[in-house]
Amino acid sequence: MSAAPADPQRRLADNPFYVLGLRPECGRLDVEREGQKLLGMLELGLKSAASYMTPLGPQRRSADKVRAAMAELRSPERRLLHEFWAVLPPKPEPPRPAPPPKPEHDLEPFAGAFAAHGWKRP
Amino acid sequence: MSSQNLVYVGIDLGTTNSTAAVFDGDKVTLVRNAQGSPITPSVVRIDARGNLSVGARARRFLESDPDNTRGEFKRLMGTAQALRFPASGVEKRPEELAAEVLRSLRKDIEDQLGFVPARAVISVPALFELPQSSATSEAARLAGFERVELLQEPIASALAAGWTIVDSSGSWLVYDLGGGTFDVSLLETRDGLLRVVGHDGDNFLGGRDFDWAIVDWALGEIERAEGVKLSRSDSAHAATIRRIKLAAEEAKIELSRVEQTSMAIAGLKVGDRSFDLDLALDRTTLERLCSPAIERSLAVCRRLLAAHGVPDGGLTRVVMVGGPSVMPVVRRYVSAALGVPPTEGLDPMTLVAQGAAIYAATAGLEARPAALEPLRGCKLWLQYPAMSSDLTPHVVGRLVDRGASGSAVATELRLTRADGLWDSPWISLDEEGAFVAAVSLLARRPNVFRVEGKNATGGAVVIDPPTLTIVQGLTISDPPLSRTIGVATAGDDVRVYFERGAPLPARRTFTLQTVETVAKGSKESLIKIPIVQGEYDAAHLCRLVGALEISGAELRQTMPSGTELELTIELDRGGRMSARALVPGSGQVFEHVAHLLVPEAAPEVLDAQLVAIRGRLGELRTDAFRRGLGGVIDKLGKVEAALVDLALDVGAAKGGDADAAQKARRSLIELDATLESVELDRRWPELEKEAREAVVYATIVIHEHGLAHEQSLFAETARAVEKARMARDPLELQRQLRLLNRLSYAAGSRDPEVWKRRFEHAAVDIGNTTDPAKAQALVKEGREALAKGDAEALRRVVQKLWQLSPGDPEQRRLGYDSGVR
Repeated sequence: MSAAPADPQRRLADNPFYVLGLRPECGRLDVEREGQKLLGMLELGLKSAASYMTPLGPQRRSADKVRAAMAELRSPERRLLHEFWAVLPPKPEPPRPAPPPKPEHDLEPFAGAFAAHGWKRP
Repeated sequence: MSSQNLVYVGIDLGTTNSTAAVFDGDKVTLVRNAQGSPITPSVVRIDARGNLSVGARARRFLESDPDNTRGEFKRLMGTAQALRFPASGVEKRPEELAAEVLRSLRKDIEDQLGFVPARAVISVPALFELPQSSATSEAARLAGFERVELLQEPIASALAAGWTIVDSSGSWLVYDLGGGTFDVSLLETRDGLLRVVGHDGDNFLGGRDFDWAIVDWALGEIERAEGVKLSRSDSAHAATIRRIKLAAEEAKIELSRVEQTSMAIAGLKVGDRSFDLDLALDRTTLERLCSPAIERSLAVCRRLLAAHGVPDGGLTRVVMVGGPSVMPVVRRYVSAALGVPPTEGLDPMTLVAQGAAIYAATAGLEARPAALEPLRGCKLWLQYPAMSSDLTPHVVGRLVDRGASGSAVATELRLTRADGLWDSPWISLDEEGAFVAAVSLLARRPNVFRVEGKNATGGAVVIDPPTLTIVQGLTISDPPLSRTIGVATAGDDVRVYFERGAPLPARRTFTLQTVETVAKGSKESLIKIPIVQGEYDAAHLCRLVGALEISGAELRQTMPSGTELELTIELDRGGRMSARALVPGSGQVFEHVAHLLVPEAAPEVLDAQLVAIRGRLGELRTDAFRRGLGGVIDKLGKVEAALVDLALDVGAAKGGDADAAQKARRSLIELDATLESVELDRRWPELEKEAREAVVYATIVIHEHGLAHEQSLFAETARAVEKARMARDPLELQRQLRLLNRLSYAAGSRDPEVWKRRFEHAAVDIGNTTDPAKAQALVKEGREALAKGDAEALRRVVQKLWQLSPGDPEQRRLGYDSGVR
């Protein structure tokens, strides 16, 4: 009897590479570095870590999932299987709402330069 | 978090001796006790006035006043066995005695560091069961620790060895032979990260077995020379045998340094007879006596290496841990069998405590009690690895009070390493008041970083905490679970929650169904959810480690048979378990895990089980001879040899040796499992036939009714079935067959004809359901659905009828009286 997900959709959605936001070519150190960063971000409740993209769309990320993903990718044999399932690129992130338009006369990032030459904002 | 003078505490709570060590991010120091030794015997004494002493002071009385002086209680951890000190009339549970040892070590640490440590890491054998781990945590709590994490001993040893050895990459074997337990772990180090590949071991093999082998030899010599027959199963001989065992232990230690020694005790008494013991013991005799136990340990090593496909010569190093591992004979056997000489320069007696202290740094478990410091500036909540193998790890942070405004609120941060040779750029906090930064570490040392802040106008802001420290060095990945954990079902199956090797902490929820009705308010009515630990598919072959009970007395509404329960099991990093059952229908939650204890081992029960196992062995052997099954006969021969030791332990249990009773209980379970696998071997032709038929049936059903993903899974499972068949692995074949049958069931359920057959089958047996009246009504409903050709209604009726099935009472009894499926 196995506790591993048998459903192919779940396999894809829970693929450790997607959970960690990494591609199958990544190195072992990348797994540790990215996993540790995500665990920290989840602990702090940061929205930017709360979900991840897969070919099936966005999925919810949890600390348990990140830890399990790290454990899977540490084992060379198990990693091989996940590499096979992660060949599809994740869907692109949905476009974020555009930032409010800046005023036409916004002089950033050259404000300092203009000021240095004695120019002033109207 | 204060970054200056970080101190991490690790404790090796051993069967015979205990040790504490502290790590400051740079070096590990052993804690010395009042006698100036880093090793404290795990012995507790309570005298007639109730005075309690621990360690070397207590150990001195082990021979002269054994009734009031107790050692080796670690082997009874997690059992209900209370130990009595007759002189004072005091009784203490094993965890209370362990707490006394921990309290003594805590005092030694206080004397050395100047403060009482609040947090620590305590090591436990890798194959400790949940009740034993839970008892260790309880001991730490009783000793006054605020928080402890448990760490498996071999991981601690490897961590300490890896910290000491500069080039630590490759595959390692940690051979940990303690006083009472043997653990072996296969580890792999790459890029500074230590990974546990696998564990194995024997919970009841240790230096003590060498001592008993010497004692048994001495008893034979005494009988020959003096004509006195001493028996371990006779409680009247217990005091004399204890004295001989102490002499055996001393002689064994002595023989690590010299070629020959003597066991001399004056005035031994047996009844009215008094005599002096004076036996010469040399290394050759010792080797002969100890070699069966050493061979047992090597068989465990080979099994572990084979299970993970490590070829001969594939090991980079072997680390030897534990007092008995200093014996030259042990080192020689290990070196010859594994093809690698043991790594020199590591102290096998204190390595575990050193590793536990280093692990405390990895886990960020600083020993100093948290001080309530006033807020000194803009408060930042930081997340970073206290210890990292990575040279450029991430630091993540977030402002605690994001609503605040003004010049005291930072909008940008910068991290500067204390040596001034590295700093980050100024990092703007994002809309959540958070930042992520990669920092640069110096290898194998503590790295302190100053945190500076700027407000929106560029003014300096004081940040709290002002610094953070990351130690660079070998680290360990999340500790793996040593044994599979699941729920026993009424069909004697195991619903696996966490497989062996799952990273901890872990949490999982599954939906289970009750097999009988529990009436609201009824105290007699009870649903039991047994939690088991082990690698077998049959629940009765796994060990019961806890149970969640739902009594009718606690229910807000009656729970009919077939009610769904959401059972969540949670394990922390130390392997401590908690369980929670939610009844979604009523919203009621049950959390009390009952009798989290190693089961009792009453001598008369053990005796009866021994008789039963002998009977079963006899039957299997006769059958194997009749069929000429050589492999099976070999396997049974090993069981027979183990029965000799088992009978000795059952004898000692009758003489009052609680430890031997526990050893016998576990051996019985293991022998039962071996006989079960022999039965499976015997059933091989039948199983092979079953597999062929199941594959044929699944091919047809899944081809006709299976979805695309079921078809791809089927292809995968069929390959696994073939692989198990070729390898003649009955356990694996059985597991794959179960998966195949589930796939066939799922695909077959899309065929309306199948439901008609299932209905007719269920309708025949309504007299035996848990609620015949309800079953009768369901059958009527089913007939109507059949007449109308309503396949969906028929399916619902059949599923409800199944829920009313009580299951096989014998299987349910075997499944620890489980009330769920």
